[in-house]
Amino acid sequence: MPQGRKGRLNFRCPACFVREIDVDMFYDSEKKEYYCLRCPFTGTEGEVLSLNEMVKFRYKNITTRITDFD
Amino acid sequence: MVPEYLEKEAAQGKTEEIGRQSVISASLDIFRTQQCIAHENGLKTTIQMTYASLFNDEAVAIAKEHHRAHGDEIGLTLLGLPCKEFREKYKTRDFCIWHFSMEDKREIVNDVFGKFEKVFGFLPQSTGSYYMDAELVRYIKSRYPAVACAVATCWEEGPKAYHNANNSWYTLNDGGPWSPWIPSRHNIHCPASSAEDDVGIVAIPHLSRDLLAVFDGPGSFYGTHPQNVLRGMVYKNGEYPYLFNLIDQYRSMDKYNNGFTYNMVFVGPGWMSKQGRWEAPYSLLEKSYQDCMAYYGTLKREGQAEDMTMSEFAGWFRGHRTYTEPACALWKDILYGSRKQIFWYLDPWMRTCVDMNQGGALVDLRPYAAKLQRPVGIGTSHIWDCSYPYLVQSFYRAGYFTHYAGEGSIKSCKVSSAGEEVDLCLCRTRARFSQEGKSRVLTLDPVEIEFTDLTVTLVSIITFPQDTGEIRFSRKILTTSKKGAVVHVYDYLTACHGTTEYPEDLTGVELRCVGPDRTVEIPYAYKCREESMGNVVRVEALVPQVHTKVSAIPLSRDVEGLIREGYAFSPMYTLGLSKDLRENEELVTCLKVEKAD
Repeated sequence: MPQGRKGRLNFRCPACFVREIDVDMFYDSEKKEYYCLRCPFTGTEGEVLSLNEMVKFRYKNITTRITDFD
Repeated sequence: MVPEYLEKEAAQGKTEEIGRQSVISASLDIFRTQQCIAHENGLKTTIQMTYASLFNDEAVAIAKEHHRAHGDEIGLTLLGLPCKEFREKYKTRDFCIWHFSMEDKREIVNDVFGKFEKVFGFLPQSTGSYYMDAELVRYIKSRYPAVACAVATCWEEGPKAYHNANNSWYTLNDGGPWSPWIPSRHNIHCPASSAEDDVGIVAIPHLSRDLLAVFDGPGSFYGTHPQNVLRGMVYKNGEYPYLFNLIDQYRSMDKYNNGFTYNMVFVGPGWMSKQGRWEAPYSLLEKSYQDCMAYYGTLKREGQAEDMTMSEFAGWFRGHRTYTEPACALWKDILYGSRKQIFWYLDPWMRTCVDMNQGGALVDLRPYAAKLQRPVGIGTSHIWDCSYPYLVQSFYRAGYFTHYAGEGSIKSCKVSSAGEEVDLCLCRTRARFSQEGKSRVLTLDPVEIEFTDLTVTLVSIITFPQDTGEIRFSRKILTTSKKGAVVHVYDYLTACHGTTEYPEDLTGVELRCVGPDRTVEIPYAYKCREESMGNVVRVEALVPQVHTKVSAIPLSRDVEGLIREGYAFSPMYTLGLSKDLRENEELVTCLKVEKAD
């Protein structure tokens, strides 16, 4: 098994992010996957990027510019 | 200049070497970029020099030049202590001034301020850290009276921040003000009540946070810090309108504070690491900073905002605010897309939060009246716990209860009829703010309560009379579907104390039901007892653990009082006041927070 290293960017675990925990993931170059040290999540870069969009599900105003604060 | 983040990232895969030239160069480069962006947008900055940066001639030269050319203030932060010189002298890797013993704090302050004066030829007027207890600020003021302003706390960075950092951020920092204040000389979180109580500085929180999202989420995701917004992943396709919504919601707070509103950005170079930060590449980190400064610059040019350095602001604040003037914020959700609305209030007696999504329930209460002396650091009983204790924190301690056994901390009201009971926590509503003389008033939209064969409409008005330590709650029945119908209205406070999600021992708490000619007491022993009394004068809890007395006082006639002890699985106590009401009748109660000696 190869040694885990930091990937191209410093991805956090999407599964931990949805429970509001920042955990850096490490990269397994042999399996070409990121893995979390805390939970059992593993995923390719593509999966992580896709899940990073999914974790924004609760931010329904993410693209809205609000002007009325009453 | 060499923040822990950047040093740590640069050290990935290398042995640690504080003061490595490549890190210092990268940090200085980022600092120059930040300053350049601010100045291009016509903004002044406060340069918070770290101890490490005072040993760097180039950093000092840049600060001097920007002070001369742009009017930037040169301040001195007590963050960023780690450097070769610090480690050699203090033989520790700790970087948190608040963790040191008082003796070490004094020595470090003397060192850092002394070095600053040697380098610049004058003493700083602003300083800061993530947390500075009143004891540290008093010492700094005694030695360096020119200090006028300090970053003194981080708003709601308690257990949520600890968990968010994978249980590695050993500082709990809940319970303070969200906007600037003049702290008490007894406890930094509490606003001073008078000149005698004034610790001598104007304090600002570390960042301006989202007052709703951060109350139940990580502080480092939702604040006026561009890279925090990226950390929270509140962006899409490289755009983050949320950041500007947040700034604008802060701007709208002038409605509740006699025209005053405030906003700040505090970004250390590490947040703009050339290697990127988490998922965000450097280009996005830099763009977010540029966009943020551009927006502030636009507001300034349009005359909608005024930029001030920290010490300038301290002078302005002291000239425009009185000690006991409350801070208010009727805050709406700008993130999740809901209609949720909360109201924050603070003054020298209390900090509290009212949740309109729970029918106007009080979900947070901090008894500032107690002005608790809680020094932090090694040698004290609070090495890591910088928080000001709560009496109510509904998210840490359950709140409205859906579990099968027990109670949660909250102040709400129950309405009952013919054996049915509805808690106003389940009646979502909205509120309007008004100021009537020296009182701040929150008028909630009426809610409809449906029983099997009766519907009633109830309106709640919550009044905060200034300089009293009181909150008055009016519950008025506007209509009933049946003529002459009577409902029972029970206004209650279920409370406890603590600084985290975990329970504290309530042994020693005294519950009292005080009538016109007798008093009934329950010394807390987890025995699930309760007492009630008709025509009660007040019900109260004396909580020696936090030197606080909290009382519920009827302002209507013929009110029944109740005190209730909890049990081990429900470590709470309840104070209740109740009365039967018909249409157009109201129950008015007063919640009072006092220091108990």
